[in-house]
Amino acid sequence: MPANSNRRLTNWLNRLAIVIALGSGGAAAAFAQAAGEPVTIGVSGPLTGQNAQYGAQWKKGFDLALDEVNVKGVQGRPLQYVFEDSQADPRQSVAIAQKFVSDPKIVVEVGDFSSTASMAASSIYQRGGLVQFGFTNSHPNFTKGGDYMWSNSVSQADEQPRLAKYAADLGFKHVAVLYLNTDWGRSSQTIFTESAKSLGVDVVASEGYQPDEKDFRSTLVRVRDAKPDAIILISYYADGALITRQTRSVGLTQPIVASGSVYSPKFIELAGEAGNGVFTESNFFPNDTRPEVQSFVTKFKARYNEEPDDFNAVAYDAIILLAAVIDKYGVDRTAIRDGLAQIKDVPSVIYGKASFDTQTRRVAGARAVYLVVKNGQFVLWDGKKPNAS
Amino acid sequence: MSSFIDYTVNGLVIGNIYALLAVGLALIFGVSNLINFAHGSVYTIGAYIGWAAITFLHTPLPVTMAIVFVACALVGMAIERIGLRPLQGSARIAPLLATIGISFVLDQVVQLVFSASPRALPNDLPDWRIDIGGGSIGALDLLIAGVGVGAAALLFVFLRFTKLGFAVRATAQDREAALQMGVNVNAVNSTVFAIASALGGISGLLVGMYYNHIDPAMSFQATLKGIVAQVIGGVGNVPGAIVGSLLLGLIESYGIALLGTTYRNLFAFVLLILFLIWMPNGLFGGRSAPQSEPLTGAFIAPSKPLRLPRWALWAMTGAAFALPLVFGAPYLLQTLTNAWLAAMLALSLTLMAGTAGQISFGHAGLLAIGAYASALLTVDLNAPTWLTIPAAGLITSALGTLLIFPAFRLRGHTIAIATLAIGEVVSLVILNWESLTRGAMGVTGIPPLSIFGHEIYAPREVYWLCLAIVVALALVQTRLLTSHFGRTLRAIRDDDVAARSYGIRLDRYKALAFAFGGFGAGVSGAITAHLYSYINHQTFDSQVSLLALTMVILGGMGNVVGAILGAIVLAGLPELFRLTAEYRILIYGIVLLLLIRFRPQGLMGTL
Repeated sequence: MPANSNRRLTNWLNRLAIVIALGSGGAAAAFAQAAGEPVTIGVSGPLTGQNAQYGAQWKKGFDLALDEVNVKGVQGRPLQYVFEDSQADPRQSVAIAQKFVSDPKIVVEVGDFSSTASMAASSIYQRGGLVQFGFTNSHPNFTKGGDYMWSNSVSQADEQPRLAKYAADLGFKHVAVLYLNTDWGRSSQTIFTESAKSLGVDVVASEGYQPDEKDFRSTLVRVRDAKPDAIILISYYADGALITRQTRSVGLTQPIVASGSVYSPKFIELAGEAGNGVFTESNFFPNDTRPEVQSFVTKFKARYNEEPDDFNAVAYDAIILLAAVIDKYGVDRTAIRDGLAQIKDVPSVIYGKASFDTQTRRVAGARAVYLVVKNGQFVLWDGKKPNAS
Repeated sequence: MSSFIDYTVNGLVIGNIYALLAVGLALIFGVSNLINFAHGSVYTIGAYIGWAAITFLHTPLPVTMAIVFVACALVGMAIERIGLRPLQGSARIAPLLATIGISFVLDQVVQLVFSASPRALPNDLPDWRIDIGGGSIGALDLLIAGVGVGAAALLFVFLRFTKLGFAVRATAQDREAALQMGVNVNAVNSTVFAIASALGGISGLLVGMYYNHIDPAMSFQATLKGIVAQVIGGVGNVPGAIVGSLLLGLIESYGIALLGTTYRNLFAFVLLILFLIWMPNGLFGGRSAPQSEPLTGAFIAPSKPLRLPRWALWAMTGAAFALPLVFGAPYLLQTLTNAWLAAMLALSLTLMAGTAGQISFGHAGLLAIGAYASALLTVDLNAPTWLTIPAAGLITSALGTLLIFPAFRLRGHTIAIATLAIGEVVSLVILNWESLTRGAMGVTGIPPLSIFGHEIYAPREVYWLCLAIVVALALVQTRLLTSHFGRTLRAIRDDDVAARSYGIRLDRYKALAFAFGGFGAGVSGAITAHLYSYINHQTFDSQVSLLALTMVILGGMGNVVGAILGAIVLAGLPELFRLTAEYRILIYGIVLLLLIRFRPQGLMGTL
């Protein structure tokens, strides 16, 4: 009896949370077509704190995907999500994990944002038998947490060799690498360096910087003294833009090749003039002619009246993929885990068609395009090599 | 050689930016003897007001600066009037905490209004640059330098030669005496906050333009660097703040040149600690500077502690143990487990800060040491957790005491700043000592807790284990406090000169307090590591230190029951406010401010 009344309390609280989410107009989309008890995805991610902007970007992608999914629903029922704010803080993500695991309404969990917060909660999800779907978790050990940890985040083992190839294709022989000193940046840098070496590209300097760093002048002097013919950025868009702007002020004229993570309209806005000529590649490019991409971009612009970026796209993909799994294999938690291993060729903005490798529990073969910034716009690279100075 | 010139120029350029922040902080510190943690928030607000003016009103730079100046002066006056003036006469810790609460609230408001994603802040200055060495500096660099030096010069003249300036200095030296001489102390404080905040807002605007980047999270780092710079220059000394800032910029730049970018902040904080130890008055403080530092114990709000009868405490403990049998919801148990882990930290901090009077802003560093010790012992050496957790406690106790030992002779605010720096240094060493700690990748695959082969991961079992440790630590600590040891510590706290004249060896007693406190914090960190199975250098960041301090003050400094209560309240509040999603940190900040305002001695009272 006590356990029961307790469960009722949790249920009640959750319902309240959903009602509030609905009331504020944010979370669950209108489910006019699909009827019945909604199927609920639990989201653990940052809505406040240092990383709040990413949670806000997720929401846009989620809501767009739900609009689409709920035209017919999953197994005839509407799909919805409950977004719990973790601030990407492990102390809060573990509490949320316990909450989700013990709430029978939650059929699958999505998030968290940072590896610190996600991997702290992994063991709870694993023991509780609830799939933790970390769609931004590229830490190589994330999916090693257990057979309930799945990720469609683009693996750095996929991404970095391509960046190295791009640098080689551009004709660079000696590059300097600036990387964000987090688990993501550090593992990317290691993989990049290895593949660059195998392509005959020499890494002449490697500098890690802290996420909250804003001044890069002295770092760039170090880079300059290593005499590279290009600068590689393993950065997010905000810090990537800061570095790009400051290269000119220390007298560096070498071209910049940045990893796909800088791809965002914000990069152009923040880098300003200095952004022109930056090479990058991206898994997501709104002008990509693939039909999955075009349908996503059109719908996104129609709903939000702005250009989507990478985080919007991966969030959208995550919900579309999970909806496909739930629709096909059922709302049971174990069925969802087994379904992830079996599902094939789900339409995806990032992958074209997504299927999981059952060993790594990741998706391989992300599509990518080579891009360059021209006149404040990302455009497809025309194949012209810059004259290395 | 040409690179050396470049590093020097770059150091001065960034030092220039720190200077803008440090001058405002120094002014407030000089008058109110207060580290204004909300200064960075005003800086952020200035940047956003500037952004709004440029975007919506298309104002040219001088007009934008004027708007920001006036608006931020008003914000500063509001902070002083609403947030700080009502706290006059309460313990010194109250306004300090209030500025932390205010910064939470302001940052959240900015984030709610302008969203969290960074924005570009363009400027309409001419785009010419002067080549120096291999690099160049632009018009904005010169403007920033001009504003920094100009503001410092104006302030210097204002403080030296105007009547209001006399009043400000009189208030800074002795508030009561100034009041008796007819100085309107409130008006002085209000003026100071207006000037400092206006300057802070202008710095936010200019720095935002410099980087073409503003975001709501920029405030904490700004405050931190500003504090470091002004300590180097001499706390409360306005010209000193400028020199300190330039020196900080240079040291950082040379640090990068020598060892690489990841060592930058390590250089900054080590420099800070060295200064605190050898030149606590900074470059310009001089020996003759008036000893305006409070005595160690001045942080404590004297009050009569609320004493609960013993049977009530035992009944509550019993109820806590019985709880999982009645309410088994894992979410509730996890939240309370978090509270027990926080309670271990709070017990440790309340002993050091409350009983021994050595306030600490870097307590998360102890958690990190404990967590890494136990994690690495189990992962690298396959040691069993029942052995590594007490071992982690002992290692933390030893390392923590060793790290803090040089800071024992510091007093008042300087020890707060020193501990803040030590906490940052621990985190940066973890980041950079890759061969031991795996650096930014963090430690993965940490095994779960186990006792003699039985794995403990069921929420109930973890809950009981943590609760039992908290109760044990609390009992030992209560016993210590009523013994000779506790009385001696309180004597040191209340009057260290008197204590010394009674033949008490201050360092030894403080070291004992830290050794005991370090053990509890280390155990808490170690258990956390095994619960999370993954830790990295960000798991225990400076926010955790601030949270721990808030818990201790909320419960009542030095009060054992209060520390546990504070931990429960502060681990529970964010979860209670979870339904309010985006607004919860805002509400949390407001609740904190109200508590400080209406019960500065904490819920249970100081001991």
